[in-house]
Amino acid sequence: MNLFREIWQSIVRRDPLSTDKGKSELVFLNVWLHIHPAKVKKEHMKFRHSFYLGFVTFFLFLILVTTGIVLMVYYRPFPPQAYQDMKDLEFVVFMGPFLRGMHRWAAHGMVVCVFLHMCRVFYTGSYKKPRQFNWVIGVFLLLLTLGLSFTGYLLPWDQLAYWAITVGSNIGSYAPLVGGQLREWLLGGHTVGEAALVRFYVLHVAVLPAAMILFTIVHFWRVRKDGGLSRPIWKLAAPKPAPLVTIGAPAEVAPLKASAASSTKTYGLMEVVTGKPIFETISPEEEEDTVFSYPYAFVREAVALMITVTGIMMMSLFFHAPLEELANPAKTPNPAKAPWYFLGLQELVSHSAMLGGVVAPALMVIALLAIPYIDRNPSRRPSDRKWAIWLFTLFVVINLVLIVVGTFFRGPGWALVPPWVHVVGGAE
Amino acid sequence: MERRLQQTFFALSLLALALIVAAAWQANTPSWKTYQHNYHQLEAQGEPNAITKAAVLATPPEIHQFMLTGLQRVDRCTTCHLGVEDPTMKNAPEPFRYHANLGPHIPSKFGCTICHGGQGLATDVNGAHGKVDFWPNPLLSKDYIRASCGRCHKEGEVPDVPELTEGRHLFETQGCRGCHKLNGVGGSIGPDLTGEGANRRAPDWLERHFLTPSAVSTGSAMPNFHFTKEQARALTYYMLSLTSEEMGSYYSSVRLIPGPEYGRQLFVEKNCIACHNIGGVGAKTGPDLAGVTKAHSAEWLDEQLVNPELVYPGSSMPAYDLEANARKALLAFLSTATAEDAQLILSRKTRALTPEDVAIEAGRQDFARFGCVGCHGTELQGGVPNPNAQGGEVPSLLHVSDDYTKDEVIALIRNGRAPPLDDAKGPTPPLYMPAWKTVLSDEDIHRIADYLWSKQQKKAKDAW
Repeated sequence: MNLFREIWQSIVRRDPLSTDKGKSELVFLNVWLHIHPAKVKKEHMKFRHSFYLGFVTFFLFLILVTTGIVLMVYYRPFPPQAYQDMKDLEFVVFMGPFLRGMHRWAAHGMVVCVFLHMCRVFYTGSYKKPRQFNWVIGVFLLLLTLGLSFTGYLLPWDQLAYWAITVGSNIGSYAPLVGGQLREWLLGGHTVGEAALVRFYVLHVAVLPAAMILFTIVHFWRVRKDGGLSRPIWKLAAPKPAPLVTIGAPAEVAPLKASAASSTKTYGLMEVVTGKPIFETISPEEEEDTVFSYPYAFVREAVALMITVTGIMMMSLFFHAPLEELANPAKTPNPAKAPWYFLGLQELVSHSAMLGGVVAPALMVIALLAIPYIDRNPSRRPSDRKWAIWLFTLFVVINLVLIVVGTFFRGPGWALVPPWVHVVGGAE
Repeated sequence: MERRLQQTFFALSLLALALIVAAAWQANTPSWKTYQHNYHQLEAQGEPNAITKAAVLATPPEIHQFMLTGLQRVDRCTTCHLGVEDPTMKNAPEPFRYHANLGPHIPSKFGCTICHGGQGLATDVNGAHGKVDFWPNPLLSKDYIRASCGRCHKEGEVPDVPELTEGRHLFETQGCRGCHKLNGVGGSIGPDLTGEGANRRAPDWLERHFLTPSAVSTGSAMPNFHFTKEQARALTYYMLSLTSEEMGSYYSSVRLIPGPEYGRQLFVEKNCIACHNIGGVGAKTGPDLAGVTKAHSAEWLDEQLVNPELVYPGSSMPAYDLEANARKALLAFLSTATAEDAQLILSRKTRALTPEDVAIEAGRQDFARFGCVGCHGTELQGGVPNPNAQGGEVPSLLHVSDDYTKDEVIALIRNGRAPPLDDAKGPTPPLYMPAWKTVLSDEDIHRIADYLWSKQQKKAKDAW
């Protein structure tokens, strides 16, 4: 029995969890958990502040990585075997449809959640100093999510995939000068074919996930270094507490001076960086507002994880991922539609290729990236930033309306057809 | 709060576990396992030996499949249709019944879907029978299944499937190519029909379409050819057989079934009777062909057809460019041919043609083969409705020489034209004269013009 205890102790190397020291060490000494602080503010755990959207997005990414690796075992990235492998997943592989369903729904879910997370961060003004650059990284993560979803869309090599990517990559080619080149580089040719499938595969399973992981690490690291999440907006009215430890951010107090009294004292690296002695970093009032990460933060994250996992599982059990006919370059569906999250773009392109396909999306991305630097208003209170909120809401609504119109209101020949009208002969 | 959260976490974990179990259960109980279980019970019924019986019943469930690389398909049909190759299952209920009359079409070489249609990869009933969304190739009904013979046997006659021969004949004589392309040759007014059988596997639609094109395809420019029911069915068979899929060499080697009927056709076409006789009936330049298949081995005769000079140095017989199966067909005919056959062939022969006749005849054949007859009629009478074109129909060609010179007509065929409008503000007429210069050689076009000129009827000058 002693041996087992010794082995266990050699693994965890901490005091029992009944002690505060043990709870702290659980976080400190564990490489996976130490992205958390040992203690978190109660207000940061409030559901109505963050809706845990960042967590859910990350958990969806974990589901995608796990199911994606298993799917890779059954997949060959060349036409037409790619399509046959989809059929084998559907009909022969044990739990194949469930697996593919989880990957598909988690992918759609991630696009949705990453967008909602962005909205939350905007509406709570959490991109403001010192978090400006983390917002920029967040925008990159949004673009990477779209890129991953777009490259994954082609892999089943069915009509849906083929024509969505054909339409999607055509939109890209409207960019002046580089557009055609970019498209050719992405597709490895002038049309979607074998070369495109291999390229999309490599991007989907290696390049983009690697970039995603790297950016995610930076994103999380910066959240931690900025002292955790932003303050909930309902707490903004309360008197400002003692300054938070914001490592890396310019200190608001005078830097430490080597005074006579302290000339004999040695300072730790943390103290030099933060500019104040460590025992002063947390005020007693603040201390009262915090709890140990274990179990308070962890149990909440675990519940969020399980809600995400069970939700995706339930979806996959009842709804199978779609699979249409084998890709057929000679047979264009009418209308041919891009993946849903690009249908807003396609809708814009249908009005003007140059404006809708190049200028508008480029402006959108640039505007998103620039938000923290354009918005000079230091206040995070909604009442102080009505203009910003109105503008962003307009941006969200326009995007949603365009996507809804592109998805449900466009029929053959991109004609305006409400979803409740059945087009006779449209399928023929 | 904390207690509640921990309970929630625990409950959700249980739910996740339950969902995994449910998914595994769903995956582990496919309908094909039930079918296999029932089949093994059926097998065990007549089994007297208890040990064998137990062994049969204990057969582990497994997916059966034919990997058909030459046909680029995998057929898993026999996962449920287990008795297909077992004659003792002759009277078994479906899906276990024995497949009689397969002939040389053994499942391990041909699978099932090449003839029957359906989705070979699928392992559930609806999916496998192709009666699901996004599978363009549903199971063919019994009425049309023989159309599939034409997917491999693309030329010559197929025994027991006269519809295919008839359909092919109608296609080549009724002018379908005037509007439709097939394997790269034909007009572009209607859709390309190469691979039509793979794109539109809907026999009902096709058949109704041939009877009245506008009934199933509103606004179709296709004229009503007033086909009979039999003709519509024959064309439907032919359409269903048109697939552009690539087949392995094994399957494409049987494009022609080397039967005696096809041999007779070749015998007439190649004009063998001009030199040879059968039992004394015919020309005497070459040897009598009666009993020739008994006098020589098949290999010898085959070589004789490929390269006569190799067998008989100085032979005056031309080397005919016939493919292997055509040579086999010719020999099959010769093995049964009698003097009566020769008599019949001779009696149908027309007089020798002059070079001019030959040119005009070639023009007539081009006129039919490239589909001009589809709109202008087999007798140049025209008359196919073409709303809002001048006269409301495709013009007759019997009087072109009144309005045009031969060179003008040649230019018209080469470059095509849109028909002059009846009402300048009305809709564009559906039919137009395509430009033929990319399809037809100058020689072809001149021959067609010669043919037209040979048919001109002079209008009475003072008709009015």
